[in-house]
Amino acid sequence: MKHVVLSTFIAASLAMPAAADTLRIGTATAQTGALAYADAPTMLGMKMAVDDINAAGGIGGKTKIELVEKDVRSDPAQTSIAAQELADDGVSVIVLPGDSDPALAAIGVVGAAEIPAISTVASSPTLPEIGGDYMFSNFPGDNVQAAVSAKWAYDQGYRTAWIVYSPDTQYTTMPLYFADVFTRLGGKMLGQSTNTLGQQDFSAIATTIAAQDPQPDVVMTSAYEPDFPSLLKALRAAGVTSQIIGSDGIDSPTTFSLGEVGEGVVFTTAGFPTPGSALEKFNKEFEARYGKAPDTIYSAVGYDLIKVIEAAVLKAGSTDPKAIRNAMASLENVQGATGTITYAGTNGMPIRQVSLVRVKNGAREFVAQPTPDPALIPEPRME
Amino acid sequence: MMTSPRIHIAAAILAIIVVTFAATLAAGMIGASIERTLTVFFISLIGVAGIGIYAGNSGILSFGHLAFMGIGAYAASILTLPAPLKAATLPKLPGWLAATQLDLLSATLIAMAVTALFALFVGWAIGRLEGSAAVIATLGLLIIVHGVIIGWRDVTRGAQSFFGVPRETGVWTAAIGCIVALVAARLYRDSVSGLRLRAGREDPISAGAVGIRIRRERLIAWVLSAAIMAMAGALLAHFLGAFSVKKFYFSDTFMLLAMLIVGGMTTVTGAVTGAVVITLVTELLRRLEGGFSVFGMDVPPILGTAQIGIGIIILFAMFRKANGLAGLKEWEERVFRPAAERSETAKPAELQEKSTLQADHLTMRFGGLTAVNDVSMHVETGEIVGLIGPNGSGKTTYLNMLSGLLAPSAGTIRRGAVELTGLTPPEIAEHGIARTFQNIRLFSDLTVDQNVLVAALSTKGGRDARARTHAALDRLGLLEKAAEDAGTLSYGDQRRVEIARALACQPSILFLDEPAAGMNREETEDLMARLRGLTEDLGIGILLVDHDLHLINLLCTRIAVLNEGNLIAQGTPEEIRKDPAVIEAYLGLGKEHQSARSTKREPQT
Repeated sequence: MKHVVLSTFIAASLAMPAAADTLRIGTATAQTGALAYADAPTMLGMKMAVDDINAAGGIGGKTKIELVEKDVRSDPAQTSIAAQELADDGVSVIVLPGDSDPALAAIGVVGAAEIPAISTVASSPTLPEIGGDYMFSNFPGDNVQAAVSAKWAYDQGYRTAWIVYSPDTQYTTMPLYFADVFTRLGGKMLGQSTNTLGQQDFSAIATTIAAQDPQPDVVMTSAYEPDFPSLLKALRAAGVTSQIIGSDGIDSPTTFSLGEVGEGVVFTTAGFPTPGSALEKFNKEFEARYGKAPDTIYSAVGYDLIKVIEAAVLKAGSTDPKAIRNAMASLENVQGATGTITYAGTNGMPIRQVSLVRVKNGAREFVAQPTPDPALIPEPRME
Repeated sequence: MMTSPRIHIAAAILAIIVVTFAATLAAGMIGASIERTLTVFFISLIGVAGIGIYAGNSGILSFGHLAFMGIGAYAASILTLPAPLKAATLPKLPGWLAATQLDLLSATLIAMAVTALFALFVGWAIGRLEGSAAVIATLGLLIIVHGVIIGWRDVTRGAQSFFGVPRETGVWTAAIGCIVALVAARLYRDSVSGLRLRAGREDPISAGAVGIRIRRERLIAWVLSAAIMAMAGALLAHFLGAFSVKKFYFSDTFMLLAMLIVGGMTTVTGAVTGAVVITLVTELLRRLEGGFSVFGMDVPPILGTAQIGIGIIILFAMFRKANGLAGLKEWEERVFRPAAERSETAKPAELQEKSTLQADHLTMRFGGLTAVNDVSMHVETGEIVGLIGPNGSGKTTYLNMLSGLLAPSAGTIRRGAVELTGLTPPEIAEHGIARTFQNIRLFSDLTVDQNVLVAALSTKGGRDARARTHAALDRLGLLEKAAEDAGTLSYGDQRRVEIARALACQPSILFLDEPAAGMNREETEDLMARLRGLTEDLGIGILLVDHDLHLINLLCTRIAVLNEGNLIAQGTPEEIRKDPAVIEAYLGLGKEHQSARSTKREPQT
């Protein structure tokens, strides 16, 4: 008898609570490896949103959220396997890593299982295009970010530019969009350099740019750590004085701790905590919960991701994956931590806030929060 | 042709098919999740079996086989990728490739062929290396192929993920692939080439001396294993649907090697055991990785649990089971132990034709040291010639030159009209010259029968190999011990196996380097009778090196004496016993002569 009680107890404590009033969200994200810099803080924001919603009684006051977590170690093959496991497990939504490469690895799985999938922070606009009906993004697209930063640069009076990009991932080819927009505005591209992901030494690229006479007004890149700090140091060491423009990939504590060399760098990201904004409120709550302010915008974006799912479940009135996908595709103006988010009328690439931030005295300084001109945004393309 | 008992092969193949099918059926009944785990397992097993074909049989660990898996994956995927997707993701692909869209089977076969061709090219270069240089070269292969895949963006999408591959590998596809790979590995192990390669793994020097061209066998195994790896890669790509070059790099290399090492490199049983153990542990730990609660206690997620677990298993295996959990034998070799297969017809012994091995003015210099200085000697068929001399006098060096192990610095070796100088040991063996070694050099982990059989198979075109093996074992009185592992025999028996192995080469001239060392008086007497039989019945000429002067005196018709690399005497036993130079070399000078020759080092006996 004792055995029966004991084993029932073990079975009960190991079993997943699978009641009908639970929304199960599977996360196949990169908690370790090269993409952990984005996915780990995103996860903090997601958990905060889940706890907030559950503390209030669940979605619509009745549907509790449960996260089923898997680490994919920044590896595409592992992402495909983890996504399949989550699909087998019967989750309603799958969260994929913050880069389009591993996220694309799961398209076969989510498409076949008809489960909506959202990448944490992948910004390549080709992701939902190639990924099909069930693939969503959760971040301002590369082409949108590039349109914003190119327009800003041109408006500052900069007329010549140089781009440094890596063909190794979709994301690191963002400067090609920048070059498109900058040229269309009337700026002149002086040249371009390519690097490989994880390249140690950027001195050859830096020397080439420094040797330009005159130097380009702007050097634009979407490299992120560890490449970005190395590139930046090499450029400054070689005597390049151009304005450096980056992208959301450098919205991390590293960028703000580079000291003198990092000063003046401007980059695009998904929001800025202007006084009275939703993001300012989020940052305060985040600090109250985790004991320190968020390091990057990614935590707020993670919070947004859960708010989008919540809105979709509310609209669908069910936890059925197909219903959630259809509801999600038609969402408009969902209030998140960074601002409002709209999927209606897009192919899965959200319309959301893009902010320009400058590194000043080791802290973030607000530059601008422009509404991108639709006519300037380049067509998504695969590199 | 298979070199092991038919029952072994039959039992192994039957078991592979039955177990694979049973596992597949069982998984189908449990659910999709288990089916997918099993699919991954089958594909890993194909990879493990593939690496095992080369590493297990040759004894050279390969870190490079994941490169072949990668080539197979990319080659097959490019062929099956739907043409519209290809146009979108690989716009710079050559036209004929862009238009191609094949089914999984054809694509896999083509990928295997392409990879095999590449392996042939690479193996031709890497096969020249030995030992750790060869291992490091395989590591280089992995890194270079990785780099080329990243750099060849137009075809491979570089470091980005290669996606959109039709997900056509189901559990049954993987099961059939697995059966093909395991059966191929099992058959190769006991094929003529596999047996030769395993002999070479145990002892490359004596393998050469019995006619094995070890580089050729390595190349065969290398190419076959590359093709199997390519199959694993193709199936994996079509299971995942998306992959990147990272999938075919260090972490998966170590995963597959962990399976191979934990299970045991040298057998298919070991490959399966290792794959099962590592997969079970990984699956278990990965499930626990996300945190779990037991008895109401929450264990927090610990990322990387699976890797740590595998590391611990490898450490355990290295400390407690260095040969792997399955050891050195296949399960069926432990279960079924039939007596060695009898030869169909024991052929009557053929008398060798008369001929003479003539060595003229042989000199061997190692740097400044002259080990053998201008020594001429001849051995005729049907006679036993003794070669004696104090330790370090150059006897073994002389034998090594005659048997092709060392190329003489000067001088010529002839057999009748045929020039033998500078030939390799396998070529010398082919010319009817066989030998044994001073330090026993048996293929310790092979059976006595296999030790002898592999020599018969590797000389004289392998004709009547079974009959020759049987005759050689019979002549040395080893038939009773044919099924035992050579390494487990007594010292005297091991000496006799070495002679049997040399005899199986059907030599006309036989070199025996201290064949009676370590034998007691009775064993020596027995050996003498058997050696006499060789000359009288078969007409074999024997060049005998030994310290046992009693044995030499009784057996030999002629004796040659070496001292400090010089031939100091040659003649009948009578003459040699009386020769003052021999007495001096062996016994030293009497006191009265010492003062006159005080600069000369006293020779040892």
